[in-house]
Amino acid sequence: MEKLVKLQIDGKEVHAPAGMNLIDAGHLADVFIPNLCYLKGMKGFGACRLCLVEVEGMKSPVIACNTKVREGMVVHTQTEKVRDIRRFILDLILAIHPLDCMTCTKAGICKLQEYAYEYELKGTSFTRKKMGYPIDQINPFIRRDPEYCILCGRCVRVCKEQGTNVLDFIGRGINAEIGTAYNKSLRESGCTFCGSCIDACPVNALPEADRWRKGREWEYKKIQSVCLLCGSGCDILVSVKDGSIQKINTGEKPGSAKKYICAYGRFGYDCIEERTKLVSPLKRVKGELRETTWKDALSIVAGKLKDAGKNTGFISTAGIMNEDALALKKFAKNVVKTKNFDTTLSLYSDVHSLRDSQSALITNSDLLVLVGLNPSQWNRVLPALDASIRKRVNRGGKLIVMNSSDTRIEEAAMLSLKGDELQILKGVAKALIDRGLKADKQLKTAVRDAEITEDMEKAAKLIAEADRPILFTSPSLFDAAANISLIKGRVIAVGLESNARGIALAGLSTEGKTYKEMVNDRMKVLYAVGEVPLTSRPAADFLVVQTSHFTDLAEQADIVLPSTTSFETEGTMIDYLGRLKHINQVIEPMGLTKSHRDILIALSKIIKPAIKKPTDAEIKKMSKGKQKLAFSPFVRKEGFDISPHEFIEAVNASVLKGRRLSWLKEALAAVAV
Amino acid sequence: MKVEEIDVNRQIGRIGEILNAREKKRGILIQALQQIQAALGYLPEESVQELSKKLNLSMSEIFSVASFYRMFYFKPRGKKILKVCLGTACYVRGSKNVLNALEQEFNIKSGETTEDLALTLETVGCVGCCGLAPVTTMNENVMGEITGSGKLKAIIQSIRE
Repeated sequence: MEKLVKLQIDGKEVHAPAGMNLIDAGHLADVFIPNLCYLKGMKGFGACRLCLVEVEGMKSPVIACNTKVREGMVVHTQTEKVRDIRRFILDLILAIHPLDCMTCTKAGICKLQEYAYEYELKGTSFTRKKMGYPIDQINPFIRRDPEYCILCGRCVRVCKEQGTNVLDFIGRGINAEIGTAYNKSLRESGCTFCGSCIDACPVNALPEADRWRKGREWEYKKIQSVCLLCGSGCDILVSVKDGSIQKINTGEKPGSAKKYICAYGRFGYDCIEERTKLVSPLKRVKGELRETTWKDALSIVAGKLKDAGKNTGFISTAGIMNEDALALKKFAKNVVKTKNFDTTLSLYSDVHSLRDSQSALITNSDLLVLVGLNPSQWNRVLPALDASIRKRVNRGGKLIVMNSSDTRIEEAAMLSLKGDELQILKGVAKALIDRGLKADKQLKTAVRDAEITEDMEKAAKLIAEADRPILFTSPSLFDAAANISLIKGRVIAVGLESNARGIALAGLSTEGKTYKEMVNDRMKVLYAVGEVPLTSRPAADFLVVQTSHFTDLAEQADIVLPSTTSFETEGTMIDYLGRLKHINQVIEPMGLTKSHRDILIALSKIIKPAIKKPTDAEIKKMSKGKQKLAFSPFVRKEGFDISPHEFIEAVNASVLKGRRLSWLKEALAAVAV
Repeated sequence: MKVEEIDVNRQIGRIGEILNAREKKRGILIQALQQIQAALGYLPEESVQELSKKLNLSMSEIFSVASFYRMFYFKPRGKKILKVCLGTACYVRGSKNVLNALEQEFNIKSGETTEDLALTLETVGCVGCCGLAPVTTMNENVMGEITGSGKLKAIIQSIRE
C-alpha cells in the first residue's frame, strides 16, 4: 500500500499517493488543471506552462505537472494571477496558430480551442505570425502540418517512448519546430505510420490524412472494440458516422503503457469497402464462380457434408472469435461427425503452450524477459508488444532478450543473451538455484550440468531481484521457459494470431488429421473458415471457403460463403495476456454476409442435430484455463518454424491489399533500396 | 573520418567512471559531432547514421541536438567561408555593398554555398574590430577596410583560384 499524502486543492481535501503530481492529484478531487503538454502516465514535461498553479508559502506559481504532492500543501488552481498567466500564454500561442476553427478538422476535440473558450480569447493581441512551413502529406496516413503545431512535444514523447524515434524538436527559439532527422518526410524517415502521434496531438498538426470533411468529432458514435489482425489483439476505439467507419484510434485508457495500435489496426479498416469484400454466396457453375442465394448455397454444402461425413476436414484461422470457435467445434464433432478440425495455430504452436500460458500485466512488471521472440514495430510482427515493452523500459522496467538470432528490440534491453535459448534457459535456471531460490528435484537434476556464463549469472541476478518478472516466449520454447517461472515469475506464450489463446482454450484442435494433413490429403470435403493462408487449391474433392474477402483460396473454391468481418460481428476473444475481451459490432453486416457461427448454425439446422449459439456462460467457462505448470524437459518443440512476418501477412492478405496499406509496403520498400 | 574509430571510453575521460554505458554514449554526442564536422566540414547523413548506431541514439535525437546549435552544418560547406560583417559600424561604412557584390559575383544568397563548393557566403553581427570597418572574414582571417574595388577583386580572385 502506497503512503497517502493529505493536501488541499481549491479548498477540497485530497488524499493522494506520495510521489503523485498535482495534475493527477487534482483529478482525484475533480479539479482539472488545464494543460496542453501533459500526458498521463508520463513524467511531467513543463513545455506549455499552462498548468501553473499557486501553492501557499511559495513565492511564484509552479507547474502542476512537475510538482509532487506534499503533506499539508495548499494549492489554488484558479486564482486571478494564474488565470492571467494562462491567458497570456494562450495569447502567445494564438499568435502563431491559424484561427480557422470553423473548418478545422480537430474542432470539438482541440485542447487549444477548449482553453481559448474557457479563457475568453477570440484571437491574439500580438502581431500574428505565419511560419510558412511545408505540409508533409506524401503518405496516405498522417498529415503533418507544422503550421498548427504548438510545440507541446506530446508527439515527440510518445514516438520516443515507444521506441519508434522519428519525431523530435528541431532548431531552437522562434525557429523551433517538430520534425524528423534531416527534415525528411515521414515516408523517408523510418516512420511506421502507427499514428500514435495522431492520438497524442492536442491540435490539428497531426490528423489522419483523410480526416478532412469526414465528419465532425461530435457527430461520431464511438465504439470500443478489438483489432483481430495479429497476436497483439489491441483495444481500438472506432468512430462511426452514417453507418460507416470514419477512423480508428487506440482504445486503451490514457496513460496505459499499451496505448498503441499499428498502421494495420488504425488504417486497415478500409478493407471492408474494397471490391474484394464478399457480399453474397458464390457457387461454381461451369468452372466459374457465380452469385447464388443462401438457401441454394447452404443446401449444396449441407448435402456435401452429409455425404462426406467423417471424411470432411475443417480448417480455420485462429483469428476467429471464441463464439465461432466453439460453434465450429460443435458443428464438426456433433453435426458432421468428423474428428478432422484444426486451425492455423498448429503451424506455430501446440495447444498446450497457449492454453496453459499464464496471465500478467506488463504495466505491473519490473522485469520483462523475451525468450526466442522477436516482436517488431517495423515489420509488424506483434508490434504492440514491441511498443509496450519499450514503453515499460522507458518507465523504469528492465528487459532481458534471449534469442539465437539478432533482434531489434535488444537495443532497449539491459541484457541480451545470444545463443541457443535452451542452453541459456538452463544456465539461468541453474544460476537461480545456485542463488538459493527454491526449485523442485526434477528441475534441479535437469540443469545440474548446465554451464553458467557471466551473462546468465547477470540475468539470474536480475530475475532474482525483480518483484514481478514476466517471461514472454515463443510457443515452441514455452515448456523450457516455464521451468524458470516454476522458480520465479510468470510465463506467457505469445501466439501470432489474435485469438490463438481463445482457440486453444476452446479446444479447437484436431482429434483426427492435422491442418497440414487436411491440406495435403485428399479430403472429400474441405471446409476453410476465415482467411486461411493458402494460395493454391488443396487436394480436396470439394472445397468450401467461408471468408469475408475474395481471397486466393476463395478463387479456387466450389462454394464461397460470405462471412462478416470483426467490424460487423459481436463476440469475444482472449488476448495473449489472458484477458477476455469483448468485440463490439460497429457497423451493420454488409450485403448478405453472416457471422461464422450463424452460417454453421444454419447448416446444422439442415443437417441436424441443430446446434445453438454459444452462451456467455460457456465462453466464460472456457476462458478459464487450468494453468497448472509442472516441470518439463528443456526441449524446443519441432515443426513450428514458420516466418512470423510472412505468416501474419498471409492471414491478413485481404486487409493488406487494401488501397492504403499496400502503399505502406511499396513505399517503404522503395525507401529501403 | 571513421565514426567507428571514436572511442567512447577514452573520450568521456575520468567522468566515465561514475556513468553507465548509456550515459557515456549520450555524454560524448556533441564531441563526436564536432569531430565529424572538423574532418568533413559538415555532418553528412551517412556519418550521423553510423554515429546513431554506435551511440544507440536515434537519428531524430541527434539531429535535434545538432540543429539546436548554430555551429553544426548539414550541407557541405565551401572551401572558403566568407562572413560579411553587418554590425553597425561596418554597415554604415558600406558592408551591404560588399555583400551585394559578392552575392552577384557568385550568384548565391547569403547563407548559401556555390555549387562547386568554392565559397560559402554568410553574414555576421560583429566580429569585434569595428576600427577596420567594413570587415569580412575569410575562414580564420580578418580582412578590413574593404572600401575600394581593388580589395574586393583580390578577395574574389582568391576564391576563384
